[in-house]
Amino acid sequence: MEIDYSKELVLVEGNPSLADLDHVISLPLDQKPDRSFMIAISITGTFLLIGIICVGLTFYYGIGMWGNNQPVGWAFGIINFVFWVGIGHAGTLISAILFLLRQKWRTGIARFAEAMTIFAVICAGLFPIIHTGRPWLAGYLLPYPNDHGLWVNFNSPLVWDVFAVSTYFTVSLIFWYVGLIPDFATLRDRSTDKIKKVLYSVFSLGWRHSNRHWQHYEKAYMILAGLATPLVLSVHTVVSFDFATAVIPGWHTTIFPPYFVAGAIFSGFAMVVTCLLFLRKVFHLEHIITMTHLDHMNKIVLATGMMVGYGYFMEYFMAWYSGNHFEQFVFLNRAFGPYAWAYWTMISCNVLLPQLFWVRKIRRSIPMMLFIVIFVNVGMWFERFVIIVTSLHRDFLPSSWRMYTPTLVDLGILLGSFGLFFTLVLLFTRSLPVVSMAEVKAVIPGAQPTHHQDNHNFGNGEGHG
Amino acid sequence: MSDKKLIPDNLNNPDPDYWRSFEELYNDPSFVESSKHEFMDGAVDEFDTDKLSGFSRRKFFALVGASAALAAAGCNYRDKGEIIPYVHKPEEITLGKPTYYASTCRACPHSCGILIKTREGRPIKIDGNPDHPVSKGKICNKGHADILNLYDPERLAKPMKKMNDGSFSKIDWFRSDDEIMGIFDNANGKEIAIITHTIVSPTFKTLLDDFVKKYPTSKVYSYELFNEQNRVSAWEKSYGTTNIPLIKWNEAKIILSLESDFLGTEGNIIENTRLYSENRNVDDLKNFNKLYSVEGDMSLTGMNADIRIKLRPDAQLEFVNCLWNAIHDNNNELLKSFGIKYGIPFKKLNNLLKDIRSNKGKSIIHAGRTLPENVHIAVNYLNDLIGASNLFRNDSAEYSVSSLVDQEKLNSLILSMNSGNVAAVIHLDTNPVFHFPSDYGYVDAIKKVPSVITLTSGNYNETTALSNYVLPVNHGLESWGDAKTRTGFYSLQQPVILPLLETRQKEAVLLTWISGASITYSLDLYRNYLKSNWKNNIYPSLNSKLDFEQFWNGALHDGIVLDHSVPPDQGSIKSSGINEFNNIPPVSGYVLVLKESYAVGDGRFSNNGWLNELPNPISKIVWDNYASISMKTAAELDVKTNDLIEITSGTRTLKIPINIQPGCADKTITIELGYGRNNSGTISEGVGFNANIMQSKNSGLTPWLFTDVKVQKTGGSYPLAITQEFHAFDKGLTKDAAQKRNIIKEGTVAEYKINPEFLKEGRDEVNNTSLYPPHTDLKKSVKWAMSVDLNKCLGCGECVISCYSENNIPVVGKEQVSKGRDMQWLRVDRYYSGDPEDPQVSQQLMLCQHCDHAPCENVCPVSATTHSPDGLNQMVYNRCVGTRYCSNNCPYKVRRFNYFNFRDHFNNGYQLSPIFDLVFNPEVTIRSRGVMEKCTFCIQRIMEAREDAIRDDKPLKGSDVHTACQDACITTAIHFGDMNDTDSEINKYRNHNLGYHVLENLNTRPNVTYLAKLKNTDKEDA
Repeated sequence: MEIDYSKELVLVEGNPSLADLDHVISLPLDQKPDRSFMIAISITGTFLLIGIICVGLTFYYGIGMWGNNQPVGWAFGIINFVFWVGIGHAGTLISAILFLLRQKWRTGIARFAEAMTIFAVICAGLFPIIHTGRPWLAGYLLPYPNDHGLWVNFNSPLVWDVFAVSTYFTVSLIFWYVGLIPDFATLRDRSTDKIKKVLYSVFSLGWRHSNRHWQHYEKAYMILAGLATPLVLSVHTVVSFDFATAVIPGWHTTIFPPYFVAGAIFSGFAMVVTCLLFLRKVFHLEHIITMTHLDHMNKIVLATGMMVGYGYFMEYFMAWYSGNHFEQFVFLNRAFGPYAWAYWTMISCNVLLPQLFWVRKIRRSIPMMLFIVIFVNVGMWFERFVIIVTSLHRDFLPSSWRMYTPTLVDLGILLGSFGLFFTLVLLFTRSLPVVSMAEVKAVIPGAQPTHHQDNHNFGNGEGHG
Repeated sequence: MSDKKLIPDNLNNPDPDYWRSFEELYNDPSFVESSKHEFMDGAVDEFDTDKLSGFSRRKFFALVGASAALAAAGCNYRDKGEIIPYVHKPEEITLGKPTYYASTCRACPHSCGILIKTREGRPIKIDGNPDHPVSKGKICNKGHADILNLYDPERLAKPMKKMNDGSFSKIDWFRSDDEIMGIFDNANGKEIAIITHTIVSPTFKTLLDDFVKKYPTSKVYSYELFNEQNRVSAWEKSYGTTNIPLIKWNEAKIILSLESDFLGTEGNIIENTRLYSENRNVDDLKNFNKLYSVEGDMSLTGMNADIRIKLRPDAQLEFVNCLWNAIHDNNNELLKSFGIKYGIPFKKLNNLLKDIRSNKGKSIIHAGRTLPENVHIAVNYLNDLIGASNLFRNDSAEYSVSSLVDQEKLNSLILSMNSGNVAAVIHLDTNPVFHFPSDYGYVDAIKKVPSVITLTSGNYNETTALSNYVLPVNHGLESWGDAKTRTGFYSLQQPVILPLLETRQKEAVLLTWISGASITYSLDLYRNYLKSNWKNNIYPSLNSKLDFEQFWNGALHDGIVLDHSVPPDQGSIKSSGINEFNNIPPVSGYVLVLKESYAVGDGRFSNNGWLNELPNPISKIVWDNYASISMKTAAELDVKTNDLIEITSGTRTLKIPINIQPGCADKTITIELGYGRNNSGTISEGVGFNANIMQSKNSGLTPWLFTDVKVQKTGGSYPLAITQEFHAFDKGLTKDAAQKRNIIKEGTVAEYKINPEFLKEGRDEVNNTSLYPPHTDLKKSVKWAMSVDLNKCLGCGECVISCYSENNIPVVGKEQVSKGRDMQWLRVDRYYSGDPEDPQVSQQLMLCQHCDHAPCENVCPVSATTHSPDGLNQMVYNRCVGTRYCSNNCPYKVRRFNYFNFRDHFNNGYQLSPIFDLVFNPEVTIRSRGVMEKCTFCIQRIMEAREDAIRDDKPLKGSDVHTACQDACITTAIHFGDMNDTDSEINKYRNHNLGYHVLENLNTRPNVTYLAKLKNTDKEDA
């Protein structure tokens, strides 16, 4: 197929009117939930409930309900934590970095990706608390002034985690909310329901679509994007420090920060694609979240997947090159030891399968991409399993080597975290516009002033406002 | 100088006409010196009972006064659940200060001397009595764990009587006494059988004699599940006496152990291991001994042998015969073909021959008790040939108060039980239903006895179920007694607490029955009897200069009394028996060996959680027994570890899981006894398999050795819990991992002689740079350090049990151990290397290394683990939130996490029973769930020593502190002290040529130093 690279891509298909856009995006908010929604939320709600019960059991009896042991002190708890933090990264990358890079195709997916970030960070943030032996004392992790002269240990990456994750959550939430203000105003204007109107009025902070508002808004949004950008890199870097600063072979590597960040974006995009495929279908947004969007995202999945693959390869190279026999053992043990099945699952899902995205047809085939991105998510979960469990289960002293087997409670909590995530996603689709109305309006054909008045099909790439 | 002139020579004597002694008259300088002081030396010194000599007056008054007062009233600890302050403080108790009492351990017939630590009237820890001539301050793991039996919440609390419907109901002591005496009085000439274990107490022997006088039809039978009857009868046949000499293990250069676990379960292991390890001193290479072990299953002795030869036990006679031929007739051919027959490399046998030949008079061969009499006889002659009599001790000998009953007598007892000629059977804290071979038919016989009276110091057991009366008796720590196990001394046993339950001392129960009136019983009934027996019978023979009361109190205080008895004549070897072992039976099929458990003994300790959870020193399996078989045999049977097999010997069959034991001889099945208890308490319920049923009175070579056994796979499996997972050590990835990683460093004596620095040369490069600032205060005062001499460490696990007792370690149970959550603060790591069929074994005590650059410290987000100025890696339980990051980052994996509240979790809160609380050391926090814990270097002992030093205004010295594991170590492999003190012993080890740190290339700078093990092997041995 011929592509004319001199023309900008069509970001919103079918040339809808602004009112049409408002209508189609806010339609789910005006309707009563249908049957399929109720089915979906009852499934996710069940998962969530299972998770809550399992966490309750853990709180009541202790971490012994899990499969963790000596020497595998961390397992599902931290695997899930890293997994969910990673998922969040796509949202920030889309909303902040792509914004700064003037990637206009982000507008259709940014809102949803940001929401996903917040929900993923909520899921992630729970795990450090529930994985502690005495969660009721989790407050000790915060450096609060006290009479006892107690202070946190700033040498510990877990303390860095506390700051990284809480900062990430705060910034993401603010960024998301600021982006929502013009849409709240639109909703306020559209709404006839009294309660909704009051709520939207409050949240829209008196937005009147005035030029002054837009000017301030654009500046603020730009600044927040600037602030959020380093977080995309730093949060997962800090998470990787949990491992990289430890002495355990298989953890103690300098490649972890970039490799973790690439992995996070990889898994995050895979999750965004997974969700959007359903979203655009259910809410009839195919003309806003177009095949082009999906194609772009699949390209990013392919690129980051190869970065991750490079990371896997470099670990082996360094193990060999360092001459350190502990290091060499750990990597041989990963590939050929008792957890080899997990390792090869990870390699197949993360390195081999995404290679199919070199083919344009596959990039643009919905069943194929769904298949691949779901396996990427599985693979990325296993990546954390491989890093955490296989490194710990056979570390320095052979006398302490021991296998790890998860329990039903472990699986229940994992299921529960997916339940929480998707419950939040479902509630979000029914309470807030899943696509930014204000931003999409700016990228529809003819939204931007151009030099060629006769050509309505393309914007010229200059900033609006 | 001028001062001296001014002092007149007779200044001390105001009146020169009177003199007090010749020393004064002639102005003896020592007198002048001493007369300057008002009191004699020692009288005004700091009061330290440990420093006082054995019979000093002050020691006597201080501690004996206390024990006397205690005996009268002081030790009544009945927790009423209220806090009651000492308004009138008992004289001997200072709150917060422990009091120690000497006594005698009654956990096994060896009767070691013990020192019981009590706090506020309750015993909390048992250690060895340093004054005891045999045990010298050490006891075995059962001795340490005996304190837990005292506080076993399931001990029977009241006398019970069997009702007509077969159930037991409570009965009053006085009523049961009356009823039982009625039974005895109406015996009508029928026998009253008393079944007891080894009698070690001379007074108890007298008491039994009194009992026989009162009830003339009574007979006493004493038995042990494991005994030395083959050794004794063999000695009698070759020497004409039963006086087997003790062995000078510490003078033997070459020790050949034949199927003998003399370091693990056989004989007085405390003495054996102490004497054996004396010659495992790397600073005295000249006397370094060499241990050969020829055995079927891998035992603790075999594991520690320099050269181990695997051989099925029924081939031992042939082996000894070949050895005889080689040494006596200088004919190696038989031995050579023997080696080929059993797949033993001839160089191993040849080295053995060379060593024995060149060390005549310094070599000894020791046969194990499981071997038949003819092997023992052969060994006696062989020993005589190689001059081993040089190594027989003549300073001391075993002393037997009363011999064990032989098989014929038991047979006739059972016959008369069956024929109704026995009126009553009294089991004196024995469990013959569990112990006796089934073909005695004891269970059927006992049902024909009208009255069965069982005294038990524990829970119900197999025998109580068949009894009419079950009477609870005192634990050893609640009892009076004496013991004589050796010539040269007596030991005394005194109670340290009043009976916790409504129990009576078993001797007092018998005394009541002798008296004929149940009201005779009083708390000190037996004490008075004991005392008067000593006064009338023993005291006069000792020619003591003290009057009896003084003598008695002194004796109680010390726990031992020396006498002047000399060892009896050992006899001399007869020349006639020499041909007896030429008739060698052929060897084929499977052979079954039954051996004593390292943990629960003959089953007496099966309700003890600490011992059940102590990993087997070889297999590291806990909470079970199993059949050990070799890899080849397992392949033949097509089974793997945990699979069930069925063993048949005669008509007796047993289904039991197997454990593939590297180094096990082919077709040899070894099972530990003492497991598979029935009806005996929550802890022992469902633990292991009852292999006692495989015993037979005469179908085996010995009661513990059976040939022509049938074995078959049954299908199905039974999971065994193991603390150290088994890794293929013949496969590339995991082969010899511990050696490749420099975790285990070993050498040979020969190598070390040539190049004392050989270890340092192969050292990993250590990069000493660190991101973190150095600890500046570590050089200021004391800095604690430990060393473990791997040449002396045998891997017995006494330290582990001592740590349980000292540091309130919870029992977690089999299920949690199999998940990898055992809580032991120190463990003995066991590594195999080399050929899986005939491996080398290396061991390493592993505990918190208290690294100066501790990886655990910098990762804790809440600073719950920190470094102290005296070099300790501390754990702050209150602050810990339980992220387990420290444990992940610990290269030694010594941290232990409370995954549950294990006290609550294990067996529905078994360890939360009120009586169980009493065992805890009040100086050590009970850890809650969700908290990390680990070895503290016994910080409570360090703090106690520091408080004492501050109070006395003296500097704290490293030698002031002994850790619990160090105190428990029989072979003194563990040393502890201050490394900043350059003269200290610990510094010697830290700077020793053989000293190394585990994983030193990580720059963790551990404060635990290991002394590399030297194997006493030649190059060609290996």
